[in-house]
Amino acid sequence: MNAIEIKDLTKRFGSKQAVKGLNMTVPEGAIYGFIGENGSGKSTTEKILCGLLPFDSGSVRLYGKDYTDPDLRAKIGVLIETPGCFPNISVWNNMMIQAANLGIADAEAEVAKVLKTVRMEGAASNKFKNCSLGMKQRIGIAMALLGNPRLLVLDEPINGLDADGMRIMREVLTDITKNYKCTVLISSHILTELEKIATHYGIIKGGEMIGEMTAAELDANCRTFVALKVADMNRTKLLLCSKYSRVEENDDGYIRIYDLTEPEEIVTFLYNNGVIIQEIESSKIGLEEYYIDLINERSVQ
Amino acid sequence: MTEARTLTFETPSFYKRLKGMLGVDFYRLFHTPMYYIFLAIAAIIPAMVLGSEGQPNAQGEVVRMYRNTWNIIAADTPLYIINNIGEYANMNMVFIFGGIMVSIFIGHDYKSGYVKQLFTTHALKCDYMLSKSIVGAFSMACMCVTYLLGGAFAGIMSGVDMSVNAGSLMIAILGKMVMSVGWASLYTMLNVIFRRYFGICITLSFVIGTGIPIIGAAALIGNNFALNIFLYGSSVNACLSSNIGALLICIIVSCVWAVVYNIVGSVILSRCDVY
Repeated sequence: MNAIEIKDLTKRFGSKQAVKGLNMTVPEGAIYGFIGENGSGKSTTEKILCGLLPFDSGSVRLYGKDYTDPDLRAKIGVLIETPGCFPNISVWNNMMIQAANLGIADAEAEVAKVLKTVRMEGAASNKFKNCSLGMKQRIGIAMALLGNPRLLVLDEPINGLDADGMRIMREVLTDITKNYKCTVLISSHILTELEKIATHYGIIKGGEMIGEMTAAELDANCRTFVALKVADMNRTKLLLCSKYSRVEENDDGYIRIYDLTEPEEIVTFLYNNGVIIQEIESSKIGLEEYYIDLINERSVQ
Repeated sequence: MTEARTLTFETPSFYKRLKGMLGVDFYRLFHTPMYYIFLAIAAIIPAMVLGSEGQPNAQGEVVRMYRNTWNIIAADTPLYIINNIGEYANMNMVFIFGGIMVSIFIGHDYKSGYVKQLFTTHALKCDYMLSKSIVGAFSMACMCVTYLLGGAFAGIMSGVDMSVNAGSLMIAILGKMVMSVGWASLYTMLNVIFRRYFGICITLSFVIGTGIPIIGAAALIGNNFALNIFLYGSSVNACLSSNIGALLICIIVSCVWAVVYNIVGSVILSRCDVY
């Protein structure tokens, strides 16, 4: 069963078409990385999914049911942008308020459990307004975890965090995916972080889904390359360009020759042309580069 | 990862949903300093009006606006047209304070993002309307009580006549308390419609709460019983000469308008962005 099935979704804000016939399928149990530029329609899609925005046309089904079903909604945990908490109330009481709205029977035990999951048990008595951004985001995730949700929708939970905040958040998200066994839809701009946890990806541009794939498919799609460093970069680049179709010089001072796995051929070629290689390695592009390539391809089309 | 599992979703009953939401709203109400400030204002205003109205004016004359203490609660007869401030300044003023209170309460829901958090759960839009209306009505009913206490205390202290038909007084007070349900629903609906504009919400609550539209209508058509179909009309109708019929009118008018406002508010909420 698919956790999320969106078909031909459209949403317009005045003259701006925010979502254009979007199709999206998230299998149950997946950690779905939802990727796109600012204004591409990610947050709008997530808000529609969470019942916060009505849409113009299309269909949204969660676990085979209409997305507005109250029984279904009780099992969906959401963090959209920032958590909706009262600033002058303690973290604990804000959590208890959400637990009451969800009708959780043993609310105190449940709140204590989720605060421990997000490493916030020591800050439960703090007023929400006194919490740092990283803490607030973790509180938002704790709120989303109340009631043992089947589906978690997390909109940019990592953005704006410092390195330590990001590390804690990554640990929290890893714990959640291990222990809660729920489907997670997570959007983020920080693709290097997303790459570490996502099992599926959806790439959106201009309100349209331009690619959906599993992590394995992404890995297969990601092009291999050989990166090397030499003393005379310009001459080497010219030499390589005469033999290989795609050669690029990176900002980090390496020349990359794409779609090659074995470096021996290049080593021999450059040696024969009198070039001494200082460093060489073969690798694959990551999610970030794949995403940029895909977006650029679409822009050209 | 995709192993087959049987998914069961418990359907939360209307009672369970409303109970949770009311619990939260009452918790918030009792933890909102503004609520206690309005309770105090509701007590102080009649005490101030009654305590100061027997003072001599610049010419040394004592002009009393009130025949007796209980005129601070309601007029002797239903007066939709007002001739002086004494005929106007009675327990109906609570509905102005209540309107501002509801505006602040709902405004805070939107400002904090609580509404966003709430509507991602199983909460329905009609649950939200109903819960806010009930809590708003409760806060106004409490203000009626403190208003009564403030007025009675000032009456005793200033020695103004306190003779009254106890039954009619009771009906007048109950009638106005019952009207809180309709008023709270109206304010909740207005605040849902103008949720992005806090200033408009406060202004509308004030203007409608003062009864200016009905007073204006009464100035055109006179003291007409038909005005009782409106919230302000029925609130005025609950006076010191009221009988059980007046209370029934208050109950019917208040409930009918509460239902109308709740339905309209729920429909608007369902069709609009939560933000």
